[in-house]
Amino acid sequence: MTNSKLYRWLAALLALALLAAACGSDDDDGDAAEETSTETEAEGDGDDGESTVAAGEEAEGDVDTEVEATDVERVVGGEIAIGMEAEIVGMRPWEDTCGSNCYNIFVTIYDKLMESAEDGSYQGWLLDDITPNEDFTAWVGNLKQGIMFHNGVELTAQTIADMFPIQQEGSQSAGQITASGLADVQATGDYEVTWTLSRPNSAFPAYLARAQLGFVFEPGAAADADAFNENPIGTGPYLFEARDLDNETSVVRNPDYWMSDQNGTQLPYLDRIAFRPIPDEGTRLDATLSGTTNVAHTLRQGTIRDARAARDSGDPIILYEFQGNNVGGGMFNVLVPPFDDVRVRRGLTHMNSQENVIEALGGTGISLPGTQWFSPDSPWYSETVAAEWLQFDFDTGVELLTEYVNDPERSDGKAVGDPIDAELSCPPDPTLIAAMQVIEQVWTQSGLVNVELTNYDQQTHIDYALGSDNGFIGNHTTHCWRVATDEDPSTFLNAALGPPTADVAEANGLDPALVSPLNWSNYFDAEVFGSLVAATQTSDFDERYALYESVMLKLAEDVPIWFSGHTATALITDANIMGLNSWELPDGTLGTGHPNAEGRWGQVWIDPAAG
Amino acid sequence: MSETFDTPDVQRAESTATQAVIEPPAAEPASTTKPGEKPRRARPHEIFRDMPLLVKISAVWLILVVFGAIYAKLDQSVFGGALPLQDPNLQTNNFNSETGDFGTGEPLESPSTSHWLGTDALARDTFSRILHGGWVSLIVAGTAAGFGVIVGGLLGSLVGFVRGRTENVIMSLIDVILAFPALILLLALVSIFEVRSLALISIVIGVLSIPAYTRVSRAISLAISQREFVLAARAIGTKPRTILFREIIPNVLPTVLAYALVAAAFVVVVEGSLSFLGLSVQLPQSTWGNMINQARRDIRLNIAQVFWPSLALSLTVLALNQVGDFFQRRFAVRDSAL
Repeated sequence: MTNSKLYRWLAALLALALLAAACGSDDDDGDAAEETSTETEAEGDGDDGESTVAAGEEAEGDVDTEVEATDVERVVGGEIAIGMEAEIVGMRPWEDTCGSNCYNIFVTIYDKLMESAEDGSYQGWLLDDITPNEDFTAWVGNLKQGIMFHNGVELTAQTIADMFPIQQEGSQSAGQITASGLADVQATGDYEVTWTLSRPNSAFPAYLARAQLGFVFEPGAAADADAFNENPIGTGPYLFEARDLDNETSVVRNPDYWMSDQNGTQLPYLDRIAFRPIPDEGTRLDATLSGTTNVAHTLRQGTIRDARAARDSGDPIILYEFQGNNVGGGMFNVLVPPFDDVRVRRGLTHMNSQENVIEALGGTGISLPGTQWFSPDSPWYSETVAAEWLQFDFDTGVELLTEYVNDPERSDGKAVGDPIDAELSCPPDPTLIAAMQVIEQVWTQSGLVNVELTNYDQQTHIDYALGSDNGFIGNHTTHCWRVATDEDPSTFLNAALGPPTADVAEANGLDPALVSPLNWSNYFDAEVFGSLVAATQTSDFDERYALYESVMLKLAEDVPIWFSGHTATALITDANIMGLNSWELPDGTLGTGHPNAEGRWGQVWIDPAAG
Repeated sequence: MSETFDTPDVQRAESTATQAVIEPPAAEPASTTKPGEKPRRARPHEIFRDMPLLVKISAVWLILVVFGAIYAKLDQSVFGGALPLQDPNLQTNNFNSETGDFGTGEPLESPSTSHWLGTDALARDTFSRILHGGWVSLIVAGTAAGFGVIVGGLLGSLVGFVRGRTENVIMSLIDVILAFPALILLLALVSIFEVRSLALISIVIGVLSIPAYTRVSRAISLAISQREFVLAARAIGTKPRTILFREIIPNVLPTVLAYALVAAAFVVVVEGSLSFLGLSVQLPQSTWGNMINQARRDIRLNIAQVFWPSLALSLTVLALNQVGDFFQRRFAVRDSAL
């Protein structure tokens, strides 16, 4: 084929591809008219909600699917396919980054030592119990007996001790070991494990419920990390079957699983689960609506909005929604001028219209505006902090920026009167691109900020913020970011607000081991960090609450982080998928449900009557 | 320079002429050229008259796109937004410092007298953004064509005329560059070097366009070099440089320009692809590709916001292909010779 013909064909094909890519999510299945019975639709529909609610109020349409016990008869058998947001990095809990996608797969293959209950407390899963010493520097736990790994090896205390050296070397676990203060793990009995810490940590059990230190793997098999990645071995309800990268990861029923439900039926209920990465949000939702998959996983408000609309128009689906502490927004790199000056940070934050940003994200009526690292549903949430959070006030923002710009001693070295420079960067997701343009318009209108909008892929975005090439100070200035989880506050705040560099640690007389590369904004305040450390030395809730509230008040004053809305997540399922909001811990306590669109698939079943 | 423009050995040229014979179809204007005469050039109105209806419509569409893009650009850069065209970046529901209040616009509005093609997810006027997006396509396509015609056209004309070692070396380099998939190479370049300026993106695409133009112009130059009027010029001792600039290039140029229209269609789509992937010009500058990308999230709510920029892109590509094909037929360059 000659050049001209080739180019004509290529041009035509690319044009079609571009159009097809854009229209890829328009394959709506409008045939399904059957009324869907759902636990989630009673509270209202957010599609017609136009106004964003004030902090602390219930968002219109904001409906976390209730966690509740059910006496619906469980059905054993069947298989489901789950559309995931992305392919996961690997299958090793100690080594591979594990977010919401990964968690959904890991929880089928591995069991955790601890698990979150409905009331937010941490209770035993593989552990029967765990107790601290007086100063929270040693924790002793007893494992359940008779539990076998998928390769026939028995789980004992020595297993947990043998995992520790591997975790110390793991790129994911090592950080958690440092953050938790874990110094040693010993088998002090056949099934008794003692965790020794280098400093008090009253929230240590929370780490045993996290992916990096909580998931139990067979250390003998893990000696060959690459082989383990191809054939992961845990004690979980499903056996690893196969992994076809970027296409499908599948697990099959573990016939020898140790756990039964309260009726004595051995778990799990399903025969097989296939996890399929479908990165495009619309395509993933369409796959479920059309029956290609049975579940769609999403962390995007826009997809929840579309799923709600589909459900309300008759598609037989259930939305298992959740909105927790995780909150979107962005961060300033406080070690980079002019963002080292609180006037700039406060000024720019005053010029951030949360309502418009949430609307651009597709979250109107779905997302609650953020004011702190806790959602209004969280026991740690503070109305006082919410009242102190900077509200949109353009004139005050301009005033603060003008003061900085006209300061002869301004930190960025530019001439008096010159606008500041801000590179506002987000991953190239359409929703984030929309949100950053909302912010850009207002900042630009001040005439005091030269805004450069940039997009980098997710990994580059993270690397940019990590800045390992310049002492982990980061190469960013203003960066889209999410913060907070629904775990114990110490598990994320101590790392996020710890000393960012060895110099900072040294200047504040802190152990260099406390240096945290996960302090992305590089914000450090000795008093704040002192409060965070103090909160790990007591188990008294009121005392801890007061400490975290003081931290949040200081953050509202210094604003290293700005907020848009809390992250709404959902598992969107066929109408006959049950159990995501009713699973139980081994002692029958109701579990935490489906935070961050993370299901506990061992107790999910297909109800033929609901289909 | 004399070495560069060595007169090619006539015998060798004759023996290789069969590799690149371009015989115009009998009905085409070029075929009416008598031996030894230069090809006749038609006037613009004659060309338009000869166009089939679809090509005429395509030509009109292209003229509209060009004028629309220029109008939008003038509105922004010369008249400071005073012309009757809405600010393409004004979010009509966001805070407006001029009014001191939030706007009352709505995102994803349907077409109305206020917004002819509705508004996007940020309540911006879609019609205005499409016109401004046309400017980006115009600049990128124009720059690429400029680079291609000037650099690639000259290079191809030269090597097709001088032949020999010069041709071997240059065409080998061209083949090496052509061996890389252009779009992949472009993606790599703009992402690695984080190129976001319109000028730089245009230049990068332009430079990558050179090899294709070189091959096209070389093929035509090979054929033209064997035409009687060129052989006659050689026979009377005309300097090679004069032959190149007076006989070869003027006759290569029309066909290369025709090819440029077809290549421009490819370039428009390439730029659209880059924009769709977030690798083209910096936001909030609109391009057809980034408009499609940003609208796809809300496709269930308002498919028109994907449709309008897609339509503009598709029609422009179609029109460029139609007009380019017409001119290629008119100038009678057989694909098999390229």
